[in-house]
Amino acid sequence: MSIIDDILNETDPVKIREETERNYREHVNPFALRMFKNASLDIIEGKRSGASVWDISGKRYIDCVTGAGIFNVGRHNTQIVEALKKALDRYDMGGWISIIRERALLAKKLSDITPGGLKYSLFCCGGGEAIEVAIKLARGHTDRTEIICMENGYHGVTGFALPATGRDVYKAPFAPLAPGYRHVPFNDIRAVEEAITEDTAAILLEPIQGEGGIRPADDEYLRGLRKICDENDVLLVFDEVQTGFGRTGKMFCAEHSGVVPDIMVLAKSLSGGFYPISCAVFTEEISDFLMTHPFIIINSFGGTSLGALVALAAIEFIEENDLPAHAHIMGKRFIKGLLALKEKYPDLVIDVRGMGLMLGIEFPEESIGPRMAYQLNQNGVISIYTFNNPKIIRIMPTLVITEDEVDFVVQAFDKSLKEIRAQEVRFKK
Amino acid sequence: MATSEEIMEALADFQQQCNNNKRLRRMQRDWTKVLHFKGTETGDYFTMTVEKGEITRNEKGDNGVPDIIVETDSETLCDMFWGDINPTQKYLRGEIKVKGSQEDIMRIDAITAIIWPEV
Amino acid sequence: MAHKGTKEDLEAIKRQALEDFARYVNPQKTRVLKNAGLDIIEGRREGAKVWDITGKMYIDCITSAGSFNVGRRNPEIVGALKAALDEYDLGGFIVCSKQKADLAKKLADITPGDLQYVMYGTGGGEANDFAIKLARGFTMKTEIISTIKAYHGHTGFALAAIGRDEYKKPFYPMVPGFKHVPYNDLKAMEDAITEDTAGIIIEPVQGEGGIYPATDDYLKGLRAICDKHEIALIFDEIQTGFGRTGKMFCCEHTGVVPDIMTVAKSLGGNLYPISATIYREELNDFVVTHPFTHLSTFGGSDLGCIVGMAAIDYLVKNRVPEHAAKMGERFQKGFDELQKTYPALLLETRRKGLMMGLQYTNDSIGPRMSYQLAQHGVMAIYTGNDPSVMRLMPVLEIQPDDVDFVVEALDKSMAEIMKQGGIEKY
Repeated sequence: MSIIDDILNETDPVKIREETERNYREHVNPFALRMFKNASLDIIEGKRSGASVWDISGKRYIDCVTGAGIFNVGRHNTQIVEALKKALDRYDMGGWISIIRERALLAKKLSDITPGGLKYSLFCCGGGEAIEVAIKLARGHTDRTEIICMENGYHGVTGFALPATGRDVYKAPFAPLAPGYRHVPFNDIRAVEEAITEDTAAILLEPIQGEGGIRPADDEYLRGLRKICDENDVLLVFDEVQTGFGRTGKMFCAEHSGVVPDIMVLAKSLSGGFYPISCAVFTEEISDFLMTHPFIIINSFGGTSLGALVALAAIEFIEENDLPAHAHIMGKRFIKGLLALKEKYPDLVIDVRGMGLMLGIEFPEESIGPRMAYQLNQNGVISIYTFNNPKIIRIMPTLVITEDEVDFVVQAFDKSLKEIRAQEVRFKK
Repeated sequence: MATSEEIMEALADFQQQCNNNKRLRRMQRDWTKVLHFKGTETGDYFTMTVEKGEITRNEKGDNGVPDIIVETDSETLCDMFWGDINPTQKYLRGEIKVKGSQEDIMRIDAITAIIWPEV
Repeated sequence: MAHKGTKEDLEAIKRQALEDFARYVNPQKTRVLKNAGLDIIEGRREGAKVWDITGKMYIDCITSAGSFNVGRRNPEIVGALKAALDEYDLGGFIVCSKQKADLAKKLADITPGDLQYVMYGTGGGEANDFAIKLARGFTMKTEIISTIKAYHGHTGFALAAIGRDEYKKPFYPMVPGFKHVPYNDLKAMEDAITEDTAGIIIEPVQGEGGIYPATDDYLKGLRAICDKHEIALIFDEIQTGFGRTGKMFCCEHTGVVPDIMTVAKSLGGNLYPISATIYREELNDFVVTHPFTHLSTFGGSDLGCIVGMAAIDYLVKNRVPEHAAKMGERFQKGFDELQKTYPALLLETRRKGLMMGLQYTNDSIGPRMSYQLAQHGVMAIYTGNDPSVMRLMPVLEIQPDDVDFVVEALDKSMAEIMKQGGIEKY
């Protein structure tokens, strides 16, 4: 009997919880466990399907976090399970030095579905890693060093991604960080114009700031950035790790404005919810740098045979089911419901915003975010605030969410806001 | 056997092909090297100087300190500069002797790939 | 299960694959591998072997530098992942998961000494990045000392720790605060220490540097230095881990326990990306005060942890590290013969378990041998930071007759190189 049989056959929720918490405390992250318990977010995931996840005790939740965009195709998508199982009958990861056919097929598909002249793909297994690739390509291609990035941006926590992440708490303990990054306010074209120098290699941004509080960039801003980049031979890099693969109502967020970046970074939903894979997609001109430095950016796990096949299956599912269109429609339904709540609780809901199923609801003060997360949890919805701004609760469910499930979430927000209002009244007394 | 005049002629043509290729020049802008070529059976040496991707000088003799040394028979040297053979393949099959870093050797192959993609 | 089709079909698939790779991924890589006779499109793969889709068989001595310790397409681990797929997906990365907890406990059990806590990632570079961050965060100092010709990965902190400029030059500026000293040189390390040294990072066997095992004295000396100066000792066991050197972890040979250990590659059972930074309880104080300052979306996924546990279980149950040690000795006998036959070509061999390096007389021989070996059914390449060394790292359960096959292929290849000449020292 393999250890796997032991694991899969253990069904006693009490035993599982006790053992998990003990091991977590002793071997993983005891303080995080504590904080989750405080927030009642100490869910141990059992069954997962579509828009929902069940705690092992049987309590069901609509998952509105989905790892900030990993599960666009739904939790435990059975079509992709089948695809990966079939792949496992034949493949393993494949040798890193070998030319992997499946990787090439995925790269070709990405070339087809990404806008404009985005054509080559370099694969990694994490979003931050792919951001590092983009930054390296920008420096290598332009022979310049400076990266202009956004305040409150979030791009990852490894060495070249971390300085671009616009929040000090992630960075301070690990100084000194890689130099050559300049932060400017988001959505402010003047700030970028003033920040450009002869040494600027690239401008890096998320077309909708995720952890920064679900802030979409204006179309005009993006067009302005494209112009600045063209005029100054600077590369425009879009971090579409959260916004990609239908999340915003189109396959890629860039399609809304029509602005095509020079490098686009993808991760999360490229995994189909099952297999770590990420990539930087870039133009033919930039690929010349790889031509002269073919083995300068390498990794063992990026774009494996299995990963590529899962990604292809995920993209197929998204296209077959026209998930971008569905996300657009469900997004509108959400906005309608949330705007009604804004009218009902004008003291508590300052703003409702977003695109497709990347939505945020803003509160007047920071403590409400965490308190709402707790309430939502009691009402069957998993949701958390955006890391760089606790005033905003993010709503990013799977793109296969149904109308009934949308309504359920809106109702959960209603109940939660009611409770928060009651708390506020009690505080004032 | 290829005479040293024939090899210089081939080198001149190679220089022109490389220097006139805008894409290659841009790709090679980080490459400044001295290359020595030696005809095994003639003992003739040739020196190519590359500065930021531009071949600035081809001359007879082994001048300066080389980053890369290529040694093979004179005919093959000639073929190389005319683009009739894939030098990296020959190197790996032991038919051309090359001393230099593997990055530089791969870079020479990249040059071949741009100028003569079918080789 | 092989790809189906006639010979023409398969050759057409292969051609198309090479074309697509060149057009959409990396054209020069395609060319370089083609030149080297290594333009293999992997088809069937099993145990120690892989077949090109057109049918040619190779013994894989590359194995992604140690990622396939459990063998190519290990049926038990494939079975485990398939079974897990019925229940699990990646899992919610924010919340605590049973799988993360289970694997962490397992890693704590099998790692030496009091290494106890685990931070997950997906790639090796990422694991090293966290190790370096942890060293800085915990000690509240900044300097990291690494070694010349070291290889630690390509993410920013790991890249700065790499001991070879070629990987870094186009991407300056690097993360500051890194020094590099010669490997296996205790005095050099002592001289490099300052009041601001936060961590020392080394591979217990330099992999890409040319397969150089650290001496016992060096490792013991490093431990003493770190204890004395409150420096975090980081062992990068990404290539050496999980049985590769004849024990589960390389540091078990000397009994020196680091403060932080990084693993990846074979933790994924040849199927799935997962990496881990394992550290002593004392250092967890930093994670307690900064619980969410390091995140990895895909790290420690439900599926990854399950695969990790299956891989570890397999290695332990089947006493795979011991088998690796035995096969390593068989290889050594073969190498000793080859050294006698080709003294002008093969200067020495360095080995720990099945992490093996053949030292040739000059840089050109590695690539040339790769080409010859490919003709004779063996996939092998030179070490990234030293092309005069050919690395051989087959799957750990390689069988005696396959060991002999590789040695014979080396023999034939070396004979061919001797005929070609060009073997003198540079």
